[in-house]
Amino acid sequence: MAMACLSRGLRSLSLLPQTPVLSSQTRATLRPAISVQLPLPAIVSHGTPLQLCRGFITTASLDQNRRFWKQREKYTIKPIGMKKTGGRDHTGKVRTHGIGGGHKQRYRWVDFQRLRFEAGKEGQVFEEKVVEVRYDPCRSADIALVAGGNRKRWLIATENMQVGDIIKTSGVIGRMAVSANEGDSYPLGALPVGTLVNNLELQPGTGSVFIRAAGTSGLLLRKVNGTAIVQLPSKRQVQVAETCMVTVGRISNIDHNQRIIGKAGRNRWLGIRPSSGLWQRKGGWAGRKIKPLPPMKSYVNLPSISAN
Amino acid sequence: MIPEARQRLRSGATLLNDLRLFSVHPRRQLNVSRPLLGRAAAPRPRPRERVEIPGLEPITYGARSHYVPGLAKPVYPRWEMGHKDPRFYRSPPHQQMALYKEKACYLFNQRTSILEGVRQALWLTKTKQTTGLPSQLLSLAESSANQIADQDERVMNVIKHARFWEMTEMEPPQENYCSTLLHSLLQLCSSLQASHPVLGKRMLAEKYSLTASWNRGEDLFQVRGQNGLLLSSTTPLPPLADRQEVEETENHVLETFYPVSPTIDLQTTHLYSPDRMTTGFCGDYPYPHAHTLYFPEGVDRRNRLRPPQLRAKMIMFCFANALARAHTLYGAAPQTLDQPVCVQAVATDGQNLQLAFFQLNTTDLQHHHGVKNQVSTGRAGRLIDRRHVL
Repeated sequence: MAMACLSRGLRSLSLLPQTPVLSSQTRATLRPAISVQLPLPAIVSHGTPLQLCRGFITTASLDQNRRFWKQREKYTIKPIGMKKTGGRDHTGKVRTHGIGGGHKQRYRWVDFQRLRFEAGKEGQVFEEKVVEVRYDPCRSADIALVAGGNRKRWLIATENMQVGDIIKTSGVIGRMAVSANEGDSYPLGALPVGTLVNNLELQPGTGSVFIRAAGTSGLLLRKVNGTAIVQLPSKRQVQVAETCMVTVGRISNIDHNQRIIGKAGRNRWLGIRPSSGLWQRKGGWAGRKIKPLPPMKSYVNLPSISAN
Repeated sequence: MIPEARQRLRSGATLLNDLRLFSVHPRRQLNVSRPLLGRAAAPRPRPRERVEIPGLEPITYGARSHYVPGLAKPVYPRWEMGHKDPRFYRSPPHQQMALYKEKACYLFNQRTSILEGVRQALWLTKTKQTTGLPSQLLSLAESSANQIADQDERVMNVIKHARFWEMTEMEPPQENYCSTLLHSLLQLCSSLQASHPVLGKRMLAEKYSLTASWNRGEDLFQVRGQNGLLLSSTTPLPPLADRQEVEETENHVLETFYPVSPTIDLQTTHLYSPDRMTTGFCGDYPYPHAHTLYFPEGVDRRNRLRPPQLRAKMIMFCFANALARAHTLYGAAPQTLDQPVCVQAVATDGQNLQLAFFQLNTTDLQHHHGVKNQVSTGRAGRLIDRRHVL
């Protein structure tokens, strides 16, 4: 059967009546005097047509090691099958060591843009009900399935989120600061200074990037004319626009950093491969460092003041 | 390799793909779906965006019939076959189809699993629920005239047949034992025909398709498709709730579940025929009145409904059958019915039996006030105690 396919394909590769493409060696051995530019009928008139083999690809097509399972445009709450990378990049070589194996996981698409309106209901404050809070194999925090209006989505669960809770999302910044409940989401400008926040956006409307790990929380330090300064869990301070959305409270699964792995096998279940056993002299990067906090990072694009 | 040869021999690569199919690859799992394994097809690269500047004609390399860097890609009109060929039919976009409507319609079919379960089904069908079957039905079941000879033993045999005697495995798949159980129990009930001749006036139908549509509030809803087994009869089911109870339902307020909308989990479509109602049978069918619906659960392995969603499905399809029947009897105008239309339903997943008796009192479903329909639900206990199986 395989041979039938191969021969069927090769039969379709007819050399007549196109100009034959010859390798330089055959050119030299077969017709040393005649140039390649002559059309085929001239060759045929000399006798039988020459059976020339052009050659064909014998290797399979090389796939790029790309993460195609991620290319889905429509949002879904159904878990998506994931392909593990093993720390390899698109060229197929190891880029990050120590990754590989582990239990099979399915990806639940978490909606990090909390202030996402349904079609036709833009600009309105809306509420959602928590349907389920469950473990997510792809992150340290738990995730919550929330339903509101006509849609359901996955969100990062906060510390005391229970099934049946109603969580509110509002994009309005009022004059008075709102007394926020845990799990609700407001712009930074609407919250009182000193609130514990998580799921911080850097640019308004792009989705949350910071403070998403289990048990973490940031602190809203100051609000300065149109911007807000938040302290991240690493004690670094960032300045973002006050219209960036945050969720109030701590992230769920607060005892995550106190878990005991217990054995090497459990690390392997998590997909962590052992590090190289070769003793390597530690350089200047090792050891405890006591240094001042890096300066505050500003993500606000303020208009530059030009001299003109 | 010479570039011209590589281009002409690209077809050779597809041959080798064929060859790969026949080689034994240890990591391939041919019986698991591709999305589940994380293997998605490589997405096509998006074509470059064309910039249309009105008044300027783009210079393309179409005239030279080969690519020239710097010139635009020519756009040709799609080639149309001169004749109609059903193998190569291209459907037009939704907006150009004949049934397209601006307003969306919400569909319920046999695979729909609604989030709020029974509460949502009650809101959609404007129904008041009573837990526990009416006493008339229970007394019918308990009266000795309606019992089969050796009933307990025969029912035990039916359960054993469905569960143990079908296959050599310890646990047969749910789709097998559920449908076997249902059909065997139905056959057992029909053995009473000698003493109850009215059973001869009933007919069982499988895989019939139903359509019912109604307006509720500002939205249009439709129930469509196959639902289950239908036992239909020549005479209608008598209503169990009398006029006074029906009028008392006017005071009942339907439960809402803010912030979830009642249309959640329903399929949205813009292509539909409004006011479409079919019972699934032609007008001269000798058994026009729907008597009982039977829902075997677990037959569709990918779409198993939990008990609340199964009860919701029962209520929705009972309502749809009753509404379609009322449409043929009393017309399309929304009204309160003098003679309520009643339909019963039994759903089973092989372990538990869910029972429902639905009474359609009104077809005026647009408004939230007024007379409501009624449903009584009950359930029978577990058929198999797994602790004693092994």
